[in-house]
Amino acid sequence: MLNNLKKESILACQSGVGMWAFLLHRLTGLALIFYLLMHIMVISTSLRGPHAFNQLLAVLTSQPFIIADLGLLAAVLFHGLNGIRILFFDLGVGIRIQKIIFWAVIAAAALIWGVTLYLTLPFIMGK
Amino acid sequence: MVTFKIERFDPDVDKAPYFKTYEVMAEKEMSVLEALFYIVENLDGSLAFRYSCRGAVCGSCAMRINGKNRLACQTLIKTLRAKTITVSALPHLPVIKDLVVDMDHFFAKYEKVKPYLINPSPAPAKERTQSVKERARIDEMINCILCGACYSACTVAATDPQFLGPAALTKAYRFLADSRDAARGERLKLVDGEHGALRCHTLFNCAEACPKYIVPTYSIQKLKGGLYGKQS
Repeated sequence: MLNNLKKESILACQSGVGMWAFLLHRLTGLALIFYLLMHIMVISTSLRGPHAFNQLLAVLTSQPFIIADLGLLAAVLFHGLNGIRILFFDLGVGIRIQKIIFWAVIAAAALIWGVTLYLTLPFIMGK
Repeated sequence: MVTFKIERFDPDVDKAPYFKTYEVMAEKEMSVLEALFYIVENLDGSLAFRYSCRGAVCGSCAMRINGKNRLACQTLIKTLRAKTITVSALPHLPVIKDLVVDMDHFFAKYEKVKPYLINPSPAPAKERTQSVKERARIDEMINCILCGACYSACTVAATDPQFLGPAALTKAYRFLADSRDAARGERLKLVDGEHGALRCHTLFNCAEACPKYIVPTYSIQKLKGGLYGKQS
C-alpha cells in the first residue's frame, strides 16, 4: 500500500536562495562545459592554417558574438564566485550567513559584469 | 474568513491527490492546526492529519503550508499574511492519507546513525559530567524534534533514496561532538560513503525548513571535515 509517492518536481523543495544558487551553479556549469567544447573546436581550426583561423576569428568578434560573450561572462562570474562560496562552506566558514554570501556573490558578479558591459559597449555599437 | 486549500489523497480510493477548499472562521491568534481542528469538527470529519502536543515539541504536525514545510501548531494564520492558505502533505514522502505521511524511511535512517550515547567505560557513580562549554557545542543540534520538515525539504534526499538526510546527520554530529561519547571512529564510518554526509550539496533547504532554526548544513559540514581527518 505504501507506495504512494506523489509526483513532485525537485522545485517543490525550493524555499530559499540556497536552492537557486545550487540550480544556477548546475545550469551555468553545464553551459560552460558546452562552451568549452566549442572553444576547443574554435582553437583547433588553427591547425588548418592561419587563414582559416583568422577568418573564423573575424566572425567571432562580430556584434552578435560579443553580446553572447557577455552572457558567457555572466555564467563564468556566477559559477566562479559561487564556487568560492561553496569552498567557504567546505572550510566551515560562513555557513550561518550563506544568504548574505549569496547576495555578495550576486553583487560582485553584477559589478564586474556592469563594468565589462561599459567597456564593451563601444565594440557592440560598432566602435 | 480564511480559505483553506487542503490536499486530499486516499491512496485506496483516489488515483491522484486533489485539493479541497474549506472556509474557516479564523480567530485572531488561531494556528493552522487549530484551523484543521475547526475543519474536522465543523466541515469535514474525514480529513486526516497527525498532531499530538500542539506546542511545537513533538514534531508530529509538520506539513507543507503555503509553499514551506512548517509545523501546523507553530504557524499562526496571521503570520502567513494570506487570504488563501494551501496545506499539503510533506513533499517527497509517501502519503498514507491526506496530510499523514509515511515516516518509516526517515526513522530507519535515523536509527542507522546510532542516535544514542556510546561509551564503553563504566558509568561513574553519579553521572557523566560535562562543562558548560562542552554542552554549548551541542546546544543547537539537541533541539531537533524529528518532525521531518528538513528531510522532506532536502532535494538530495528526494533524488537519492538512500541518502541519510539532514536530520539523521545532524543527530550523528550531535553525538560526535558530545564530550561524553567515545565512538568517534564508528560514527564517522556510519556517515561515510556516497549516501552519507558527503552527499550533501549545501542547498540549505533543510535550514530553511527547520521549525527549530537548526542549520543541519553546519553539522553536515562538520561531519565532512571529520571524514577528512579534521578534529572538530
